[in-house]
Amino acid sequence: MSNEFPISASISLGFLCILCASFGVLVEGRILGLKSNSDLDDSLVYLWPLPSQLSHGNTTISVDPHLSLEVGGKGGDSSIVREAFQRYRDIIFKHSSRGNAVYDITNIKIIVESDNETLHLGVDESYSLYVAKQDGLSILGDATIEANTVYGALRGLETFSQLCSFDYGTKSVEVHKAPWSIQDEPRFVFRGLLLDTSRHYLPISVIKQVIESMSYVKLNVLHWHIIDEESFPLEIPSYPNLWKGAYSKWERYTVEDALEIVEFAKMRGINVMAEIDVPGHGASWGAGYPDLWPSPTCQEPLDVSKNFTFEVISSILTDMRNIFPFELFHLGGDEVNTDCWSSTPHVKQWLQMHNMTGKDAYQYFVLRAQAIAVTKNLTPVNWEETFNTFQENLHPQTVVHNWLGPGVCPRAVEKGFRCIYSNQGVWYLDHLDIPWEGFYNSEPLEGIDDASAQKLVLGGEVCMWGETADASDVQQTIWPRAAAAAERLWSRREVTPTENIRVTVLPRLLYFRCLLNRREIPAAPVKNELARRPPAHFGSCYEQ
Amino acid sequence: MKVRFFCLGFTLVWLAVGCAGIHGLNLWPMPKSVSHGGQTLYMSKDFGLRYEGSNYTDASGILKDGFARLLDGVEADHVADYNSTHFDHSVLLQGLNVIISSFNDQLQFGVDESYKLSIAATGNPRYVYLEAQTVYGALHGLQTFSQLCHFDFTTRMVEVHQIPFTIIDTPRFSYRGLLIDTARHYQSLPMIKNVIDAMAYSKLNVLHWHIVDSQSFPLEIPSYPKLWNGAFSPSERYTMADAAEIVQYAQRRGINVLAEIDVPGHALSWGTGYPSLWPSRDCQQPLDVSNEFTFKVIDGILSDFRKVFEFRFVHLGGDEVNTSCWSTTAHVNKWLREHHLNESEAYQYFVLRAQNIALSHGYEIVNWEETFNNFGSKLSPKTVVHNWLGRGVAQQVVGKGLRCIVSNQDKWYLDHLDTTWQDFYMNEPLTNITYPTQQKLVIGGEVCMWGEHVDGSDLEQTIWPRAAAAAERLWTPYENLATDPKKVTGRLAHFRCLLNQRGIAAAPLAGPGRVAPDEPGSCYKQ
Repeated sequence: MSNEFPISASISLGFLCILCASFGVLVEGRILGLKSNSDLDDSLVYLWPLPSQLSHGNTTISVDPHLSLEVGGKGGDSSIVREAFQRYRDIIFKHSSRGNAVYDITNIKIIVESDNETLHLGVDESYSLYVAKQDGLSILGDATIEANTVYGALRGLETFSQLCSFDYGTKSVEVHKAPWSIQDEPRFVFRGLLLDTSRHYLPISVIKQVIESMSYVKLNVLHWHIIDEESFPLEIPSYPNLWKGAYSKWERYTVEDALEIVEFAKMRGINVMAEIDVPGHGASWGAGYPDLWPSPTCQEPLDVSKNFTFEVISSILTDMRNIFPFELFHLGGDEVNTDCWSSTPHVKQWLQMHNMTGKDAYQYFVLRAQAIAVTKNLTPVNWEETFNTFQENLHPQTVVHNWLGPGVCPRAVEKGFRCIYSNQGVWYLDHLDIPWEGFYNSEPLEGIDDASAQKLVLGGEVCMWGETADASDVQQTIWPRAAAAAERLWSRREVTPTENIRVTVLPRLLYFRCLLNRREIPAAPVKNELARRPPAHFGSCYEQ
Repeated sequence: MKVRFFCLGFTLVWLAVGCAGIHGLNLWPMPKSVSHGGQTLYMSKDFGLRYEGSNYTDASGILKDGFARLLDGVEADHVADYNSTHFDHSVLLQGLNVIISSFNDQLQFGVDESYKLSIAATGNPRYVYLEAQTVYGALHGLQTFSQLCHFDFTTRMVEVHQIPFTIIDTPRFSYRGLLIDTARHYQSLPMIKNVIDAMAYSKLNVLHWHIVDSQSFPLEIPSYPKLWNGAFSPSERYTMADAAEIVQYAQRRGINVLAEIDVPGHALSWGTGYPSLWPSRDCQQPLDVSNEFTFKVIDGILSDFRKVFEFRFVHLGGDEVNTSCWSTTAHVNKWLREHHLNESEAYQYFVLRAQNIALSHGYEIVNWEETFNNFGSKLSPKTVVHNWLGRGVAQQVVGKGLRCIVSNQDKWYLDHLDTTWQDFYMNEPLTNITYPTQQKLVIGGEVCMWGEHVDGSDLEQTIWPRAAAAAERLWTPYENLATDPKKVTGRLAHFRCLLNQRGIAAAPLAGPGRVAPDEPGSCYKQ
């Protein structure tokens, strides 16, 4: 454990003077002799995910419901910052405060160094946050967020919102254990969540709510598995019959819908990584263009023998490039069963002409799709089977997306590829029997000791496959377990406890799950053995 | 189904009985009568609200807000990005003209909720006409209209089909309730508001807020400020300002809030702040009948309630009273003997005294059916008996001239997950009640979402879509209801998908309550 953390007593010098000031007023709740804050362990810091470095004091200060925003730096006057401030003001002040009070914090100052708002992989998300009572002696009063980019400022606002809580005794929003000084930055640049809108269509409102909740845990990539064999909900202007593969005429996304989702995500510092999963998961493509099937009776994988297949892929990527500015693009490549190729006469003939086995053709397909992506300035991401099968034949820019099991990222980075960790045994959200500890204890860098090799692990992603998840249960299947992974991806290894996590971590996760509920996110109980199960009995959210 | 033809330049299909769902019109709940043609119009980009001919001026903005929600609901999901210059203006709907005859927007029990919604066959500019007695009828009309609007993925416009149409609608029952329980699990304010929103979508009009029970006391009571020490934790609470906000939020959607304190049997949590309300520390329930302080606290609570809960009724509970603590606790036992009361007489004494306190604050009373079953003839004539134990109770209650709310647990308890939406749909409140005067005493029904296994994570999917099935039973004229629920499956599936689009996590229809979909597929088929 590092020296900086957790620091219950070490207060940076700048704040000593504030501590000396008197904060003698006991909150009314305590006088009334309430149960202590639901038996919260006071030695823990109720922030999720844990910041890199922090120090705090031991006083309680109040926050003005008319909190005002002051911006500074080249990038401070940004609509991303201003709109985020409005969102967080709504979140923080959900209950009406008692009027006519004098508040300690009346102003939040957000200073953003850069006015570059490009949201690329590895964008600077670091920030500093100071919260202290304004008085004549201190240099930094009120709340101050300093960041290099607007996205760092967003992360700081989220942390600030978690420091604030409504006190029912004083009827005002308070920050406990002030003054606070926090310096924070992410451990990994890629912190993802997969949504699958092919097995079940998810309404736009639901996707937005998931994105909103991702910002609460500082996840930063929505991996949108838009299309699969079951349905093709997205409009592709170049091939307008493709979305005939949608489940119904209502279960669709227009280009404008997708653009709006991308913009909504960007306002929250989240990139959208789109996926077309070729050639193995493309049966729905043929609903509009049956030529893409090997035959009407053998519909998958996509017909490798036709140029038309690659023309369609190329056009999809062109159309999607106009929607999804993120440089990473997922080309799938998993679970390819090539039987249809060998059993369909014209494809079989093509294989023979080209002297290819089914496996050769699989590689040919994946590499050709990669080449198309690269010409469009996209970095291909592929599921691990492509690496497991073709190894260094893959394009050198490929990001290998692990899922089958442990040990894949070590092998991929050894070959110089970058890697995303999603080991299904611990990070598949549709596996309802993986408890929160499974998500929390997993380690993307497991088996990778060399520092330069570690850098090739971009991060990780939890996957919400949609076979049994629709608008009615997707959020409680995601939360709170995705939050456990989010802390692994955001927080420095040294600040997250490894021992005794039922004491050191669980109370914080219980608290955070209730925070999600209070923010309208239907996160499921933490302690249940199976995910998305109802609470076993009556009781406090903070204990379930 | 009767089908008649009129020659008006269009073919109008009159549906006197709409039980099977009107082809192409997936309305839930089904209105009283619908006639329609087959033309399609498109919602103009500046589709606006007009009050021409209306007495009601909407000073409080209730209608304006409802209209804004309507636009959000039909447009926000998708980006309507068409270019209207390409369109012949005669196919554009310019707005909605609302004509409300009453100036009054007090949300009283039994307020007129009827409305007439129509679009004429011709006209330039084209308007939707919505006529209602009150703004609350008009809000229902807006809900119906929102269900007629469809985003079309080809034109990128919001389309309204089956024009011309005339919909005439009025509720069958004036009390159409849903119970939520914030004592077994706390529900956050936004969660409660989501429930209210979805109630408005299905035209339910009473939120029965079972605020307090044995397990916790989350509400602030200014007269007795230690009562909310019985909350699960310092943050699982509602201030009176929160409660007022919920009431106002509901009222602006035409929904009343029925507040409940369940005395004397479900009040253990009261004693956390005031232990003298318990018979003793070892025997904490029911409330101490022998202690005058008990009734002072009830009086204080109801006096505080009166400032926030403006509905005509307050619910005083009265169910599941096990009086053994009264006999086994020495000082209560002594009091019983002094007053020559046995346990069941003391139970009656308690309930009737609480009723009198409520009456003194201007409330009419709702009590759970045990009070009627035990001493029905003694209850205040202003009592509404709330059935729950089983069927056949309403019949007896109205036979005695009292009013009744039907919630028989075998069909209308949402926490019974094995009760299917078909069961909810088919439960008929007027079963075996044939005299019109007695039928009128059944003011309606309520589905109950008890919270033992329901918190913020599973509230919505346990309620919906099953509550919607009951909502049609309570809204739609009996003649229009399906006799076989199979006939409404498609229409209810459509409504469930609409709830999903609006961010309400309604569960699939197939299977028991709050079930996960069992395989990939379309929302409309699950």
